[in-house]
Amino acid sequence: MFEWLDYAFMNRALLATSILSLSVAPVGAFLVLRRLSLAGEAMAHAIVPGIVIAFVVAGLSVYSMIVGGLIAGVSVALFSVLLANKTIIREDASLASMYLLALALGIFILSAAGSAVPLKSFLFGSILGIGDDTLMLIGATAIITLISFAFILRPLIVSTIDPVFYESQLRRPWIVGHLFMFLVVLNLLGAFKALGTLMAVGLMILPATAARYWVSTITSYLILTFAFALMSSWAGLIISFYVPKVPSGPAIVLVAGGLFILSLLFGPQGFRLTSQIRGSSKRSTDKNPETANAALINQKRTKAL
Amino acid sequence: MLLKASQLALGYAGVPLINSISFQIEPGEVLAVVGQNGAGKSTLVKTLLDVIPPLHGTLEWPEGKPQSIAYLGQRTEFDRRFPIRVRDLAAMGAWQRLGPFGWLKADDQEMVEAALQRTNIADIADEPLHVLSAGQLQRALFSRAIVQDAPLILLDEPFTAIDQTTESYLLGLIDDWAKQGRAIILVLHDLSTVLQHCTKALLLGNNEALFGLPHEVLSPSNLVEYGYLSEAQVGWIETMYTKREVANQKDMKLEGGAHV
Repeated sequence: MFEWLDYAFMNRALLATSILSLSVAPVGAFLVLRRLSLAGEAMAHAIVPGIVIAFVVAGLSVYSMIVGGLIAGVSVALFSVLLANKTIIREDASLASMYLLALALGIFILSAAGSAVPLKSFLFGSILGIGDDTLMLIGATAIITLISFAFILRPLIVSTIDPVFYESQLRRPWIVGHLFMFLVVLNLLGAFKALGTLMAVGLMILPATAARYWVSTITSYLILTFAFALMSSWAGLIISFYVPKVPSGPAIVLVAGGLFILSLLFGPQGFRLTSQIRGSSKRSTDKNPETANAALINQKRTKAL
Repeated sequence: MLLKASQLALGYAGVPLINSISFQIEPGEVLAVVGQNGAGKSTLVKTLLDVIPPLHGTLEWPEGKPQSIAYLGQRTEFDRRFPIRVRDLAAMGAWQRLGPFGWLKADDQEMVEAALQRTNIADIADEPLHVLSAGQLQRALFSRAIVQDAPLILLDEPFTAIDQTTESYLLGLIDDWAKQGRAIILVLHDLSTVLQHCTKALLLGNNEALFGLPHEVLSPSNLVEYGYLSEAQVGWIETMYTKREVANQKDMKLEGGAHV
Protein backbone atom coordinates (compact mmCIF):
# COMPACT_ATOMS: atom_id res chain seq x y z
CA MET A 1 0.00 0.00 0.00
CA PHE A 2 2.90 2.34 0.73
CA GLU A 3 5.05 1.27 -2.21
CA TRP A 4 5.15 4.89 -3.44
CA LEU A 5 7.45 5.60 -0.50
CA ASP A 6 10.08 3.30 -2.03
CA TYR A 7 10.70 5.58 -4.99
CA ALA A 8 13.25 8.36 -4.61
CA PHE A 9 11.42 10.64 -7.08
CA MET A 10 8.24 10.33 -5.00
CA ASN A 11 10.07 11.16 -1.80
CA ARG A 12 11.60 14.24 -3.40
CA ALA A 13 8.24 15.32 -4.80
CA LEU A 14 6.57 14.88 -1.41
CA LEU A 15 9.31 16.87 0.30
CA ALA A 16 9.23 19.63 -2.32
CA THR A 17 5.46 20.06 -2.25
CA SER A 18 5.39 19.97 1.57
CA ILE A 19 7.85 22.85 1.77
CA LEU A 20 6.06 24.60 -1.07
CA SER A 21 2.74 24.29 0.79
CA LEU A 22 4.25 25.91 3.86
CA SER A 23 5.46 28.79 1.73
CA VAL A 24 2.51 29.39 -0.61
CA ALA A 25 -0.19 29.04 2.10
CA PRO A 26 0.24 32.51 3.68
CA VAL A 27 0.81 34.09 0.26
CA GLY A 28 -2.36 32.49 -1.15
CA ALA A 29 -4.35 33.39 1.95
CA PHE A 30 -3.51 37.06 1.58
CA LEU A 31 -4.04 37.00 -2.20
CA VAL A 32 -7.60 35.90 -1.41
CA LEU A 33 -8.07 38.37 1.46
CA ARG A 34 -6.66 41.29 -0.53
CA ARG A 35 -8.91 40.39 -3.52
CA LEU A 36 -5.90 39.70 -5.70
CA SER A 37 -6.68 36.07 -6.62
CA LEU A 38 -7.07 36.89 -10.30
CA ALA A 39 -4.00 39.13 -10.24
CA GLY A 40 -2.04 36.14 -8.90
CA GLU A 41 -3.31 33.99 -11.76
CA ALA A 42 -2.28 36.66 -14.26
CA MET A 43 1.17 36.96 -12.71
CA ALA A 44 1.72 33.20 -13.03
CA HIS A 45 1.38 33.53 -16.82
CA ALA A 46 3.16 36.86 -17.02
CA ILE A 47 6.45 35.40 -15.76
CA VAL A 48 6.59 32.90 -18.66
CA PRO A 49 8.35 35.03 -21.34
CA GLY A 50 10.96 36.15 -18.79
CA ILE A 51 11.76 32.54 -17.97
CA VAL A 52 11.79 31.47 -21.63
CA ILE A 53 14.04 34.35 -22.71
CA ALA A 54 16.40 33.62 -19.80
CA PHE A 55 16.55 29.93 -20.85
CA VAL A 56 17.31 30.88 -24.45
CA VAL A 57 19.92 33.50 -23.53
CA ALA A 58 21.58 32.02 -20.46
CA GLY A 59 20.80 28.33 -20.78
CA LEU A 60 18.76 25.97 -18.64
CA SER A 61 19.29 26.62 -14.96
CA VAL A 62 17.34 27.52 -11.89
CA TYR A 63 19.27 30.78 -11.62
CA SER A 64 18.37 32.00 -15.10
CA MET A 65 14.77 31.05 -14.30
CA ILE A 66 14.81 33.11 -11.09
CA VAL A 67 16.33 36.18 -12.75
CA GLY A 68 14.13 36.04 -15.85
CA GLY A 69 10.98 35.28 -13.86
CA LEU A 70 11.54 38.01 -11.28
CA ILE A 71 12.27 40.65 -13.94
CA ALA A 72 9.18 39.69 -15.97
CA GLY A 73 6.91 39.39 -12.92
CA VAL A 74 7.90 42.69 -11.35
CA SER A 75 7.74 44.60 -14.64
CA VAL A 76 4.30 43.22 -15.51
CA ALA A 77 3.03 44.19 -12.04
CA LEU A 78 4.41 47.72 -12.35
CA PHE A 79 3.24 48.14 -15.93
CA SER A 80 -0.32 47.03 -15.19
CA VAL A 81 -0.52 49.47 -12.26
CA LEU A 82 0.75 52.19 -14.61
CA LEU A 83 -1.91 51.29 -17.21
CA ALA A 84 -4.65 51.28 -14.59
CA ASN A 85 -3.60 54.66 -13.23
CA LYS A 86 -2.78 56.50 -16.45
CA THR A 87 -5.33 55.14 -18.92
CA ILE A 88 -9.07 54.48 -18.97
CA ILE A 89 -8.65 50.69 -18.63
CA ARG A 90 -8.95 49.31 -15.11
CA GLU A 91 -6.52 47.06 -13.32
CA ASP A 92 -8.24 43.73 -14.07
CA ALA A 93 -8.45 44.41 -17.80
CA SER A 94 -4.88 45.69 -18.02
CA LEU A 95 -3.61 42.64 -16.11
CA ALA A 96 -5.60 40.30 -18.37
CA SER A 97 -4.22 41.98 -21.50
CA MET A 98 -0.68 41.81 -20.18
CA TYR A 99 -0.77 38.16 -19.21
CA LEU A 100 -2.38 36.98 -22.46
CA LEU A 101 0.31 38.84 -24.36
CA ALA A 102 3.02 37.44 -22.10
CA LEU A 103 1.82 33.83 -22.23
CA ALA A 104 1.52 33.87 -26.03
CA LEU A 105 4.94 35.49 -26.36
CA GLY A 106 6.50 32.93 -24.03
CA ILE A 107 5.13 29.92 -25.89
CA PHE A 108 6.00 31.51 -29.25
CA ILE A 109 9.65 32.02 -28.27
CA LEU A 110 9.85 28.61 -26.61
CA SER A 111 8.63 26.86 -29.78
CA ALA A 112 10.64 29.04 -32.19
CA ALA A 113 13.90 28.63 -30.27
CA GLY A 114 13.42 24.87 -30.09
CA SER A 115 14.28 24.75 -26.39
CA ALA A 116 15.25 21.51 -24.70
CA VAL A 117 12.39 21.97 -22.25
CA PRO A 118 9.21 20.31 -23.51
CA LEU A 119 6.19 22.60 -23.69
CA LYS A 120 4.23 20.20 -21.50
CA SER A 121 6.53 20.69 -18.51
CA PHE A 122 6.16 24.45 -18.97
CA LEU A 123 2.40 24.19 -18.86
CA PHE A 124 2.00 21.52 -16.17
CA GLY A 125 5.34 21.46 -14.34
CA SER A 126 7.65 18.56 -13.57
CA ILE A 127 7.33 17.82 -9.88
CA LEU A 128 8.27 14.16 -10.39
CA GLY A 129 11.58 15.08 -12.02
CA ILE A 130 12.67 17.61 -9.49
CA GLY A 131 16.40 18.30 -9.11
CA ASP A 132 18.57 19.44 -6.21
CA ASP A 133 18.68 23.02 -7.51
CA THR A 134 14.88 23.24 -7.65
CA LEU A 135 14.62 21.82 -4.13
CA MET A 136 17.05 24.53 -3.05
CA LEU A 137 14.95 27.17 -4.79
CA ILE A 138 11.79 25.99 -3.05
CA GLY A 139 13.60 25.81 0.30
CA ALA A 140 15.05 29.30 -0.05
CA THR A 141 11.66 30.67 -1.15
CA ALA A 142 10.04 29.15 1.93
CA ILE A 143 12.66 30.61 4.28
CA ILE A 144 12.43 34.10 2.75
CA THR A 145 8.62 33.97 2.74
CA LEU A 146 8.22 32.82 6.34
CA ILE A 147 10.77 35.29 7.73
CA SER A 148 9.17 38.14 5.76
CA PHE A 149 5.73 37.16 6.99
CA ALA A 150 6.90 37.28 10.59
CA PHE A 151 7.60 40.98 10.03
CA ILE A 152 4.76 41.98 7.74
CA LEU A 153 1.87 39.88 9.07
CA ARG A 154 0.40 42.57 11.32
CA PRO A 155 0.83 45.47 8.89
CA LEU A 156 -0.57 43.25 6.14
CA ILE A 157 -3.65 42.48 8.23
CA VAL A 158 -4.25 46.13 9.10
CA SER A 159 -3.69 47.35 5.53
CA THR A 160 -6.07 44.73 4.16
CA ILE A 161 -8.91 45.55 6.55
CA ASP A 162 -8.62 49.31 6.59
CA PRO A 163 -6.12 50.76 4.07
CA VAL A 164 -6.45 54.45 4.95
CA PHE A 165 -6.24 53.79 8.69
CA TYR A 166 -3.12 51.74 7.94
CA GLU A 167 -1.56 54.54 5.88
CA SER A 168 -2.29 56.98 8.66
CA GLN A 169 -0.29 54.86 11.10
CA LEU A 170 2.97 54.29 9.22
CA ARG A 171 5.69 56.42 7.77
CA ARG A 172 6.42 54.31 4.68
CA PRO A 173 3.22 52.35 4.17
CA TRP A 174 3.96 51.18 0.61
CA ILE A 175 6.84 48.90 1.71
CA VAL A 176 4.55 46.15 2.95
CA GLY A 177 2.45 45.97 -0.24
CA HIS A 178 5.53 45.90 -2.45
CA LEU A 179 7.23 43.24 -0.36
CA PHE A 180 4.06 41.15 -0.53
CA MET A 181 3.95 41.36 -4.34
CA PHE A 182 7.63 40.35 -4.46
CA LEU A 183 6.80 37.31 -2.30
CA VAL A 184 3.95 36.46 -4.68
CA VAL A 185 6.33 36.42 -7.68
CA LEU A 186 8.96 34.45 -5.75
CA ASN A 187 6.46 31.79 -4.71
CA LEU A 188 5.03 31.62 -8.21
CA LEU A 189 8.52 30.71 -9.45
CA GLY A 190 8.74 27.84 -6.99
CA ALA A 191 5.22 26.71 -7.82
CA PHE A 192 5.87 27.16 -11.55
CA LYS A 193 8.72 24.64 -11.47
CA ALA A 194 6.53 22.13 -9.65
CA LEU A 195 3.11 22.65 -11.21
CA GLY A 196 3.66 24.63 -14.43
CA THR A 197 2.29 27.97 -15.49
CA LEU A 198 -1.29 26.74 -15.83
CA MET A 199 -1.50 25.17 -12.37
CA ALA A 200 0.95 27.23 -10.29
CA VAL A 201 -1.71 29.38 -8.67
CA GLY A 202 -3.88 26.33 -7.93
CA LEU A 203 -1.93 25.41 -4.81
CA MET A 204 -2.09 29.03 -3.63
CA ILE A 205 -5.70 29.99 -4.22
CA LEU A 206 -7.81 26.83 -3.85
CA PRO A 207 -6.62 25.83 -0.34
CA ALA A 208 -7.05 29.46 0.72
CA THR A 209 -10.61 29.80 -0.64
CA ALA A 210 -11.55 26.39 0.78
CA ALA A 211 -10.20 27.25 4.24
CA ARG A 212 -12.09 30.56 4.29
CA TYR A 213 -15.39 28.64 4.52
CA TRP A 214 -14.45 27.14 7.88
CA VAL A 215 -12.77 29.78 10.01
CA SER A 216 -13.26 33.32 11.25
CA THR A 217 -9.90 34.23 12.74
CA ILE A 218 -6.74 34.94 10.82
CA THR A 219 -4.50 32.51 12.74
CA SER A 220 -6.77 29.53 12.20
CA TYR A 221 -7.19 30.63 8.59
CA LEU A 222 -3.45 30.50 7.90
CA ILE A 223 -3.07 27.12 9.61
CA LEU A 224 -6.02 25.54 7.79
CA THR A 225 -4.84 26.93 4.44
CA PHE A 226 -1.50 25.23 4.99
CA ALA A 227 -3.18 21.97 6.02
CA PHE A 228 -5.35 21.98 2.89
CA ALA A 229 -2.35 22.74 0.64
CA LEU A 230 -0.40 19.88 2.23
CA MET A 231 -3.30 17.43 1.94
CA SER A 232 -3.80 18.37 -1.72
CA SER A 233 -0.11 17.90 -2.51
CA TRP A 234 0.18 14.49 -0.92
CA ALA A 235 -3.13 13.12 -2.14
CA GLY A 236 -2.52 14.49 -5.64
CA LEU A 237 0.94 12.95 -5.86
CA ILE A 238 -0.29 9.55 -4.68
CA ILE A 239 -3.21 9.62 -7.12
CA SER A 240 -0.89 10.44 -10.01
CA PHE A 241 1.40 7.60 -8.87
CA TYR A 242 -1.38 5.03 -9.15
CA VAL A 243 -3.33 6.35 -12.13
CA PRO A 244 -1.21 5.91 -15.27
CA LYS A 245 -0.52 8.90 -17.53
CA VAL A 246 -2.02 11.44 -15.13
CA PRO A 247 0.37 14.40 -14.65
CA SER A 248 0.88 15.24 -10.99
CA GLY A 249 0.23 19.00 -11.26
CA PRO A 250 -3.40 18.73 -12.35
CA ALA A 251 -3.94 15.86 -9.88
CA ILE A 252 -2.78 18.08 -6.98
CA VAL A 253 -4.96 20.98 -8.09
CA LEU A 254 -7.91 18.65 -8.62
CA VAL A 255 -7.68 17.44 -5.01
CA ALA A 256 -7.50 21.08 -3.85
CA GLY A 257 -10.58 21.74 -5.99
CA GLY A 258 -12.36 18.80 -4.33
CA LEU A 259 -11.55 20.24 -0.90
CA PHE A 260 -12.94 23.56 -2.10
CA ILE A 261 -16.25 22.00 -3.16
CA LEU A 262 -16.56 20.02 0.08
CA SER A 263 -15.85 23.20 2.08
CA LEU A 264 -18.36 25.14 0.05
CA LEU A 265 -21.03 22.53 0.83
CA PHE A 266 -20.23 21.77 4.45
CA GLY A 267 -18.21 24.71 5.83
CA PRO A 268 -20.10 26.96 8.26
CA GLN A 269 -19.46 29.97 6.03
CA GLY A 270 -20.22 28.28 2.73
CA PHE A 271 -23.73 27.48 1.49
CA ARG A 272 -24.73 26.76 5.09
CA LEU A 273 -24.10 30.39 6.01
CA THR A 274 -27.19 31.43 7.93
CA SER A 275 -26.13 34.91 8.95
CA GLN A 276 -26.47 37.44 6.20
CA ILE A 277 -23.28 39.01 4.88
CA ARG A 278 -23.89 42.65 5.59
CA GLY A 279 -22.78 45.65 3.67
CA SER A 280 -21.85 43.58 0.63
CA SER A 281 -23.88 45.65 -1.82
CA LYS A 282 -21.90 48.71 -0.70
CA ARG A 283 -18.83 47.24 -2.27
CA SER A 284 -19.62 48.30 -5.82
CA THR A 285 -19.58 51.96 -4.79
CA ASP A 286 -16.02 51.48 -3.62
CA LYS A 287 -13.92 54.53 -4.45
CA ASN A 288 -10.63 52.78 -5.01
CA PRO A 289 -10.79 51.53 -8.64
CA GLU A 290 -8.56 48.57 -7.87
CA THR A 291 -10.64 47.20 -5.02
CA ALA A 292 -13.89 48.28 -6.64
CA ASN A 293 -13.05 46.13 -9.62
CA ALA A 294 -12.13 43.14 -7.62
CA ALA A 295 -15.30 43.55 -5.60
CA LEU A 296 -17.38 43.67 -8.74
CA ILE A 297 -15.69 40.56 -10.08
CA ASN A 298 -16.21 38.83 -6.75
CA GLN A 299 -19.89 39.73 -6.78
CA LYS A 300 -20.32 38.41 -10.29
CA ARG A 301 -18.51 35.22 -9.39
CA THR A 302 -20.65 34.76 -6.32
CA LYS A 303 -23.75 35.19 -8.43
CA ALA A 304 -22.46 32.75 -11.04
CA LEU A 305 -22.00 30.14 -8.33
CA MET B 1 -2.46 74.93 20.81
CA LEU B 2 -2.38 71.48 19.25
CA LEU B 3 -2.44 72.23 15.53
CA LYS B 4 -2.25 75.34 13.38
CA ALA B 5 -2.84 75.15 9.64
CA SER B 6 -1.85 78.18 7.58
CA GLN B 7 -2.79 78.88 3.97
CA LEU B 8 -3.12 75.19 3.09
CA ALA B 9 -3.82 74.39 -0.55
CA LEU B 10 -5.09 70.85 -1.05
CA GLY B 11 -5.60 68.63 -4.03
CA TYR B 12 -4.32 65.72 -6.06
CA ALA B 13 -1.42 65.85 -8.53
CA GLY B 14 -1.19 69.63 -8.64
CA VAL B 15 -4.91 70.17 -9.26
CA PRO B 16 -6.09 72.23 -6.29
CA LEU B 17 -9.43 71.41 -4.65
CA ILE B 18 -9.13 74.20 -2.13
CA ASN B 19 -6.88 77.22 -2.22
CA SER B 20 -6.43 78.59 1.23
CA ILE B 21 -7.43 76.84 4.45
CA SER B 22 -6.33 78.32 7.74
CA PHE B 23 -7.57 77.06 11.08
CA GLN B 24 -6.35 76.07 14.49
CA ILE B 25 -7.46 73.62 17.14
CA GLU B 26 -6.83 73.48 20.88
CA PRO B 27 -7.01 70.42 23.14
CA GLY B 28 -10.62 69.85 24.20
CA GLU B 29 -12.09 71.41 21.08
CA VAL B 30 -14.40 69.77 18.56
CA LEU B 31 -13.92 71.14 15.05
CA ALA B 32 -16.65 70.43 12.50
CA VAL B 33 -15.69 70.25 8.82
CA VAL B 34 -18.71 70.99 6.65
CA GLY B 35 -18.94 71.21 2.87
CA GLN B 36 -20.60 69.92 -0.27
CA ASN B 37 -19.46 66.64 -1.87
CA GLY B 38 -16.07 67.06 -3.52
CA ALA B 39 -15.28 70.19 -1.51
CA GLY B 40 -12.15 68.52 -0.13
CA LYS B 41 -13.27 67.37 3.34
CA SER B 42 -11.75 63.89 3.13
CA THR B 43 -8.70 65.30 1.36
CA LEU B 44 -8.18 67.64 4.31
CA VAL B 45 -8.42 64.71 6.73
CA LYS B 46 -5.93 62.67 4.72
CA THR B 47 -3.57 65.65 4.57
CA LEU B 48 -3.68 65.98 8.36
CA LEU B 49 -2.84 62.27 8.54
CA ASP B 50 0.19 62.75 6.27
CA VAL B 51 -1.30 60.41 3.66
CA ILE B 52 -1.53 63.18 1.04
CA PRO B 53 0.98 66.05 1.08
CA PRO B 54 -0.43 69.62 0.93
CA LEU B 55 0.22 71.52 -2.33
CA HIS B 56 1.10 74.68 -0.41
CA GLY B 57 0.98 76.01 3.10
CA THR B 58 2.10 74.68 6.45
CA LEU B 59 0.86 72.48 9.27
CA GLU B 60 2.38 73.41 12.61
CA TRP B 61 2.20 71.33 15.78
CA PRO B 62 3.20 73.82 18.50
CA GLU B 63 3.27 71.12 21.23
CA GLY B 64 5.01 68.60 18.96
CA LYS B 65 3.36 66.23 16.52
CA PRO B 66 1.38 63.59 18.43
CA GLN B 67 2.80 60.05 18.43
CA SER B 68 -0.52 58.77 17.27
CA ILE B 69 -3.57 60.31 15.60
CA ALA B 70 -6.78 58.32 15.84
CA TYR B 71 -8.63 57.98 12.55
CA LEU B 72 -12.01 56.64 11.56
CA GLY B 73 -12.59 56.67 7.81
CA GLN B 74 -15.58 56.27 5.56
CA ARG B 75 -16.84 52.72 5.59
CA THR B 76 -16.56 52.27 1.82
CA GLU B 77 -12.82 51.90 2.36
CA PHE B 78 -13.28 49.15 4.92
CA ASP B 79 -13.20 45.36 4.32
CA ARG B 80 -15.83 43.62 6.47
CA ARG B 81 -15.15 40.14 5.15
CA PHE B 82 -11.70 39.87 6.68
CA PRO B 83 -11.56 36.97 9.18
CA ILE B 84 -11.19 38.90 12.41
CA ARG B 85 -13.34 39.38 15.52
CA VAL B 86 -14.73 42.58 16.97
CA ARG B 87 -12.33 42.37 19.93
CA ASP B 88 -9.32 42.12 17.57
CA LEU B 89 -10.54 45.11 15.57
CA ALA B 90 -10.62 47.16 18.77
CA ALA B 91 -7.16 45.88 19.70
CA MET B 92 -5.88 47.12 16.34
CA GLY B 93 -5.87 50.55 18.01
CA ALA B 94 -2.87 49.42 20.07
CA TRP B 95 -1.03 48.12 17.02
CA GLN B 96 1.24 51.13 16.64
CA ARG B 97 2.43 50.81 20.23
CA LEU B 98 3.08 47.07 19.87
CA GLY B 99 5.16 46.90 16.68
CA PRO B 100 5.40 43.71 14.63
CA PHE B 101 6.04 41.28 17.51
CA GLY B 102 4.73 42.71 20.78
CA TRP B 103 1.83 40.99 22.51
CA LEU B 104 -1.06 42.83 24.14
CA LYS B 105 -0.07 43.46 27.75
CA ALA B 106 -2.53 43.18 30.60
CA ASP B 107 -3.28 46.92 30.66
CA ASP B 108 -3.77 46.97 26.86
CA GLN B 109 -6.25 44.13 27.23
CA GLU B 110 -8.07 45.98 30.00
CA MET B 111 -8.19 49.01 27.74
CA VAL B 112 -9.73 46.96 24.91
CA GLU B 113 -12.36 45.49 27.26
CA ALA B 114 -13.14 48.93 28.67
CA ALA B 115 -13.48 50.35 25.14
CA LEU B 116 -15.90 47.54 24.19
CA GLN B 117 -17.91 48.29 27.34
CA ARG B 118 -17.92 52.03 26.67
CA THR B 119 -19.24 51.55 23.14
CA ASN B 120 -21.75 49.01 24.46
CA ILE B 121 -20.66 46.07 22.27
CA ALA B 122 -19.02 43.80 24.86
CA ASP B 123 -21.72 41.20 24.15
CA ILE B 124 -20.69 40.85 20.49
CA ALA B 125 -16.91 40.99 21.11
CA ASP B 126 -16.37 37.50 19.65
CA GLU B 127 -18.46 37.96 16.51
CA PRO B 128 -16.84 38.20 13.07
CA LEU B 129 -17.22 41.55 11.30
CA HIS B 130 -19.46 40.40 8.44
CA VAL B 131 -22.44 39.77 10.74
CA LEU B 132 -22.42 43.27 12.28
CA SER B 133 -24.97 45.94 11.47
CA ALA B 134 -23.70 49.32 10.28
CA GLY B 135 -24.22 50.76 13.76
CA GLN B 136 -22.42 47.88 15.49
CA LEU B 137 -19.48 48.17 13.11
CA GLN B 138 -19.25 51.89 13.79
CA ARG B 139 -19.29 51.24 17.55
CA ALA B 140 -16.44 48.74 17.03
CA LEU B 141 -14.44 51.34 15.09
CA PHE B 142 -15.05 53.88 17.85
CA SER B 143 -13.72 51.36 20.36
CA ARG B 144 -10.58 51.08 18.23
CA ALA B 145 -10.25 54.87 18.39
CA ILE B 146 -10.57 54.69 22.19
CA VAL B 147 -7.77 52.12 22.34
CA GLN B 148 -5.57 54.37 20.18
CA ASP B 149 -5.62 56.82 23.11
CA ALA B 150 -4.60 59.73 20.85
CA PRO B 151 -4.62 63.48 21.61
CA LEU B 152 -6.15 64.16 18.18
CA ILE B 153 -9.05 62.18 16.74
CA LEU B 154 -10.18 62.48 13.11
CA LEU B 155 -13.64 61.20 12.22
CA ASP B 156 -14.68 61.24 8.55
CA GLU B 157 -18.49 61.15 8.26
CA PRO B 158 -18.93 58.76 11.19
CA PHE B 159 -22.74 58.95 11.19
CA THR B 160 -23.52 58.16 7.55
CA ALA B 161 -26.13 55.36 7.43
CA ILE B 162 -26.20 55.13 11.23
CA ASP B 163 -29.45 55.12 13.21
CA GLN B 164 -30.32 57.96 15.59
CA THR B 165 -29.80 55.94 18.78
CA THR B 166 -26.27 54.96 17.82
CA GLU B 167 -25.51 58.46 16.59
CA SER B 168 -26.51 60.13 19.84
CA TYR B 169 -24.68 57.44 21.83
CA LEU B 170 -21.47 58.01 19.86
CA LEU B 171 -21.88 61.80 20.11
CA GLY B 172 -21.86 61.33 23.89
CA LEU B 173 -18.55 59.55 23.49
CA ILE B 174 -17.18 62.46 21.42
CA ASP B 175 -18.27 64.90 24.15
CA ASP B 176 -16.38 62.72 26.67
CA TRP B 177 -13.25 62.81 24.53
CA ALA B 178 -13.40 66.59 24.43
CA LYS B 179 -13.80 66.69 28.24
CA GLN B 180 -10.68 64.50 28.54
CA GLY B 181 -8.78 67.24 26.69
CA ARG B 182 -8.53 65.51 23.31
CA ALA B 183 -9.06 67.49 20.13
CA ILE B 184 -11.59 66.09 17.65
CA ILE B 185 -11.99 66.93 13.99
CA LEU B 186 -15.34 65.76 12.73
CA VAL B 187 -16.50 65.71 9.09
CA LEU B 188 -20.28 65.69 8.99
CA HIS B 189 -23.39 66.92 7.22
CA ASP B 190 -25.91 67.38 10.01
CA LEU B 191 -25.85 71.09 10.88
CA SER B 192 -27.89 70.75 14.08
CA THR B 193 -25.27 68.27 15.38
CA VAL B 194 -22.54 70.78 14.55
CA LEU B 195 -24.32 73.51 16.50
CA GLN B 196 -24.90 71.23 19.52
CA HIS B 197 -21.56 69.44 19.81
CA CYS B 198 -18.83 71.43 18.05
CA THR B 199 -16.85 74.38 19.35
CA LYS B 200 -15.48 75.48 15.96
CA ALA B 201 -16.48 74.99 12.35
CA LEU B 202 -14.65 74.94 9.05
CA LEU B 203 -16.83 75.45 5.98
CA LEU B 204 -15.38 74.27 2.65
CA GLY B 205 -16.77 74.96 -0.80
CA ASN B 206 -16.17 76.65 -4.15
CA ASN B 207 -12.40 76.27 -3.63
CA GLU B 208 -12.49 78.35 -0.46
CA ALA B 209 -12.64 77.86 3.29
CA LEU B 210 -14.09 79.74 6.24
CA PHE B 211 -13.15 79.09 9.87
CA GLY B 212 -14.68 80.31 13.11
CA LEU B 213 -17.45 79.74 15.64
CA PRO B 214 -20.11 77.34 14.33
CA HIS B 215 -23.11 79.69 14.42
CA GLU B 216 -21.11 82.45 12.72
CA VAL B 217 -19.48 80.28 10.03
CA LEU B 218 -22.63 78.31 9.28
CA SER B 219 -24.86 81.33 8.80
CA PRO B 220 -27.53 80.93 6.13
CA SER B 221 -25.81 83.40 3.81
CA ASN B 222 -22.42 81.66 4.16
CA LEU B 223 -23.96 78.24 3.52
CA VAL B 224 -25.42 79.52 0.27
CA GLU B 225 -22.24 81.34 -0.73
CA TYR B 226 -20.09 78.22 -0.19
CA GLY B 227 -22.49 76.08 -2.19
CA TYR B 228 -23.67 73.95 0.74
CA LEU B 229 -27.34 74.95 0.56
CA SER B 230 -29.50 76.40 -2.18
CA GLU B 231 -31.51 79.58 -1.62
CA ALA B 232 -34.66 77.50 -1.35
CA GLN B 233 -33.26 75.44 1.56
CA VAL B 234 -32.27 78.40 3.69
CA GLY B 235 -35.72 78.87 5.22
CA TRP B 236 -35.69 75.95 7.63
CA ILE B 237 -32.19 76.63 8.85
CA GLU B 238 -33.14 80.20 9.72
CA THR B 239 -35.97 78.78 11.78
CA MET B 240 -33.54 76.43 13.49
CA TYR B 241 -31.19 79.28 14.37
CA THR B 242 -34.01 81.39 15.79
CA LYS B 243 -35.19 78.49 17.96
CA ARG B 244 -31.65 77.94 19.15
CA GLU B 245 -31.20 81.56 20.11
CA VAL B 246 -34.41 81.49 22.12
CA ALA B 247 -33.24 78.30 23.83
CA ASN B 248 -29.83 79.80 24.55
CA GLN B 249 -31.34 82.88 26.10
CA LYS B 250 -33.42 80.65 28.37
CA ASP B 251 -30.29 78.70 29.33
CA MET B 252 -28.45 81.91 30.12
CA LYS B 253 -31.23 83.06 32.38
CA LEU B 254 -31.25 79.69 34.16
CA GLU B 255 -27.49 79.52 34.60
CA GLY B 256 -27.20 83.14 35.60
CA GLY B 257 -25.59 84.27 32.38
CA ALA B 258 -23.09 81.43 32.12
CA HIS B 259 -21.26 81.16 28.81
CA VAL B 260 -22.69 78.59 26.44
